Amino acid sequence: MTHQIELENVEKHYGSFHALKTVNLAIPKGQFVALVGPSGCGKSTLLRSIAGLERITSGVLRIEGERVNDLPPRKRDLAMVFQSYALYPHMSVRDNLTYALRLKGASKAERAKKAEEVAAIIGLENLLDRRPKALSGGQRQRVAMGRAIIRNPRAFLFDEPLSNLDAALRVRMRKEVRALHDRLGATSVYVTHDQIEAMTMADHVVVMRLGVIEQQGAPLELYERPANRFVAGFIGSPAMNFVPGTMAADGASVVLDLEGAPTLPTAIKAEPGLKVDVGLRPEHLTMGAPGVAGSATIGIAAVESTGSSCFLFADGDPELIITTDGSTNVKAGDQVGLTIAPERIHLFDPESEMALRSGE
Amino acid sequence: MTRVNANRVMLVIAIMLAALYLFPLYWMYVTSLKTNSSIFAVPPEFLPGEPQWENYATIWDVANIPRFIWNSLVIATGVTVITGIVGAGAAYVLARYRNGWIDAALFTVLMLQVLPPSLMVTPIFVGFAWIGLLDFPRFAAILAISAKTMPFFVILCRAAFMTIPRELEEAALVDGNSRAGAFFMIVLPLARNGILISALLVFMQGFGEYVYSASIIADNRLQPASIGMTNFLQPNVVNWNAIMAFAATYVTPILAAFVLLQRQIVNGLTAGALK
Repeated sequence: MTHQIELENVEKHYGSFHALKTVNLAIPKGQFVALVGPSGCGKSTLLRSIAGLERITSGVLRIEGERVNDLPPRKRDLAMVFQSYALYPHMSVRDNLTYALRLKGASKAERAKKAEEVAAIIGLENLLDRRPKALSGGQRQRVAMGRAIIRNPRAFLFDEPLSNLDAALRVRMRKEVRALHDRLGATSVYVTHDQIEAMTMADHVVVMRLGVIEQQGAPLELYERPANRFVAGFIGSPAMNFVPGTMAADGASVVLDLEGAPTLPTAIKAEPGLKVDVGLRPEHLTMGAPGVAGSATIGIAAVESTGSSCFLFADGDPELIITTDGSTNVKAGDQVGLTIAPERIHLFDPESEMALRSGE
Repeated sequence: MTRVNANRVMLVIAIMLAALYLFPLYWMYVTSLKTNSSIFAVPPEFLPGEPQWENYATIWDVANIPRFIWNSLVIATGVTVITGIVGAGAAYVLARYRNGWIDAALFTVLMLQVLPPSLMVTPIFVGFAWIGLLDFPRFAAILAISAKTMPFFVILCRAAFMTIPRELEEAALVDGNSRAGAFFMIVLPLARNGILISALLVFMQGFGEYVYSASIIADNRLQPASIGMTNFLQPNVVNWNAIMAFAATYVTPILAAFVLLQRQIVNGLTAGALK
């Protein structure tokens, strides 16, 4: 099967800086892929390499099976939505939308017809004669989207398109972008630093750090089976807690470095006495009365309530965050008992930071 | 002192400074309307008793003003065209790329700005003579003046190009344009104001240029107005009112353009600085 976009051992150097390290990624037609990672991780470089705005140093980049390493952007037939929208300020919305068609030599009538069609899709029928300057942030964003969809390209590339919008609009546009993707049957590559955007919008999430793909897979797979400590900490909000622990004598349970903590059975077999990092998601921790057998006793340093849920910050080292539902009467300074569901813990090798898996 | 009073004091100082700067201009206009005797009157006359408007009519014919102004226009236009085309390209490259070579080029361009024409004129003259360019004196002068105006233009234009976000060009590339197409369809229209204003300033420099024209253009019929004016400076007689009438005829159009366009000029030069 030929993939819509395929990267094979792609490397990118900027002088001595190694921006992309042996990137392998295959995107089937119709998939929505999110590239996510902290700033400087290479996600934008990867997107720009696909677009042809950067030349890859080595490796192969294919679009619909065709090697495009040396093709300039205009010959790749991809559409890109930029973070700043990059609308042409000296052209009306209509001219912005139809610019690509004009370059292809489409007739004026054809362009006008297409512009109307696309304006109806993005809901900007009344604004076609405005200049970008006279539009709000959300409207500009829509024009940028419209400029991409009018071309019916082989794939859409999004470079953090929602990060300049306010929070409410961002949530709405998230759904709209995804709905548009489904409706057009398009292939999309979406760069974001916001893991929630990646998790909610994408079919396939690619987590990057320092030019390396740390893990890729379906959103819930990354959440449930993070390959390493970085991915575990990056995916999920609030971030996963890490507590040092030691494998017990039976080699199949782990003792947490917390006062009164129980020995937690795991499916993982490891050498007794092995030091591990135990990953505990805040939402998988539950609270009870202090001193109950099988629960660790911790002090609460701070409580943040958002109404729908409540974040408890434990004092001491390591700092733990616990998520509970909105109504709790725990206050800062209280002692609480902490129970941990053993089936939901993650174990990581403190040296390599790789996840320990059963049967490995 | 209250704020209002402070503002008034500043205003008075500003007016005095402006008067000081503009006095030579005023003196030029007044002198051009005086008779020969009143020019040298002691104490000096700040207003011409009987304005001698015929001074203008006289020099218009006697001094061949139309021909000199025409030559100035030809030279200024040529300088503007050459500087505009070559300089805009250079400025774009200097604005878009960042590396050691570009820094070196930029430094060299700035250095060229520092060198005075009177220093450069001899090597330029010798070089032009050697390759036979002196047979086309006006063209040779245009080339020499363009070399002088180029650094100034490149630096102003570079600033204009740098205000244009790179993403706009990249969007055009992805939309299906070539590098050159993106430059002409996106970058150039957006930098238009900055380029036009810079070109206008270059035009004015070319219009008033003296050193290169004086050295390179020997034929009286091809000389620009800046040189034509000096014909009135003779060893024994200096015809001041004629010189001043000539000068007034020469600079008034430029002054008028400046006054009319000054808002655009200031905006064009500072565009982007506020964002």
